[in-house]
Amino acid sequence: MTSKTEVQTPTPPSLSTLATTTVIALVVAGVLLVTIVLPAEYAIDPVGTGRWLGLTEIASPSLTPVEDVSPAGAALAPVQNGPVGEYPAEFKLDVFEITLQPYEYVEYKYHLEQGATMLYSWTANAPVIHDLHGERVGGGEPAEESFDKQDRRQASGSLTAPFTGIHGWYWENPGGEPVTIRLTSSGFYSSALEIRSDRTRRTRKLRPLETLSPIPEESAGTGGR
Amino acid sequence: MTRRLMILGMLAGLVVGAAPAAAHDDYRIIGTVTKITAKTLDVKQTKDGKTISMRTDEATLVTRDKKKVSTTELKTGLSVVVDARGDSLEDLVVLEVRIVPSPTKK
Repeated sequence: MTSKTEVQTPTPPSLSTLATTTVIALVVAGVLLVTIVLPAEYAIDPVGTGRWLGLTEIASPSLTPVEDVSPAGAALAPVQNGPVGEYPAEFKLDVFEITLQPYEYVEYKYHLEQGATMLYSWTANAPVIHDLHGERVGGGEPAEESFDKQDRRQASGSLTAPFTGIHGWYWENPGGEPVTIRLTSSGFYSSALEIRSDRTRRTRKLRPLETLSPIPEESAGTGGR
Repeated sequence: MTRRLMILGMLAGLVVGAAPAAAHDDYRIIGTVTKITAKTLDVKQTKDGKTISMRTDEATLVTRDKKKVSTTELKTGLSVVVDARGDSLEDLVVLEVRIVPSPTKK
């Protein structure tokens, strides 16, 4: 009364089948290696798929991805009228102060249209690693350009944006003690972006002209005749 | 047919899976070395006391006073400034380790 159960043993694939599937697997792996892995990992893009899929950006990301922080509205681009640059809106003011702990850095940048101008002065209570630079928004080469790169303790100047993008400073505290930096600027910029070394980013509000009030006149004195 | 669909699904997964890597970013970790192995570096951050564990590789550069030094110079207790790249604080590869003097206590 014993019942027999038939166990079907799968037929092993023939050598030719194994060879065929192995070759197919190797070809697929090779295609993936060339089209996806190499562009993404090493920016090697022999067939152009990395650029097409945006994978080469993964291998070599820019140190500070450009963020278009420009608000909606008319771009603050100048129209040149002889020596006069005319803008569609008022300029803005900004005061930025930060204390960098030992070895920390910060980037502080304004969005400026090509040809737009700003004035600035900044001071630090100790020398800092400094790079005044700009990053293009919307493509173009080079993506980033340095205008003044050297250790400094203070600087005053003006900047006329050579291209539309975010323009401003990289400051790094190279020493073991905190350093305070204070920047005052005015210009035809539309927004400000702060990037700290802990990767926190924030867009800062700018001061419109109406926040300025006249300096109170000194009370009538005895000066003059 | 099912097998072809599975293969297509796996290929699609590979391509989609590559997308999160696009979030690679650069991080600066400032603190004290708490542990070091041939492939990892742990640093306790000065600012919040949190320990960040990072991977090192053959491209990792170790410097002191702007000069390249051997990785064997890294010891626990040393103050360091680490520049690393990755998707998050939990997934970082060390690019450069600077051995620096201990910051002045605030």
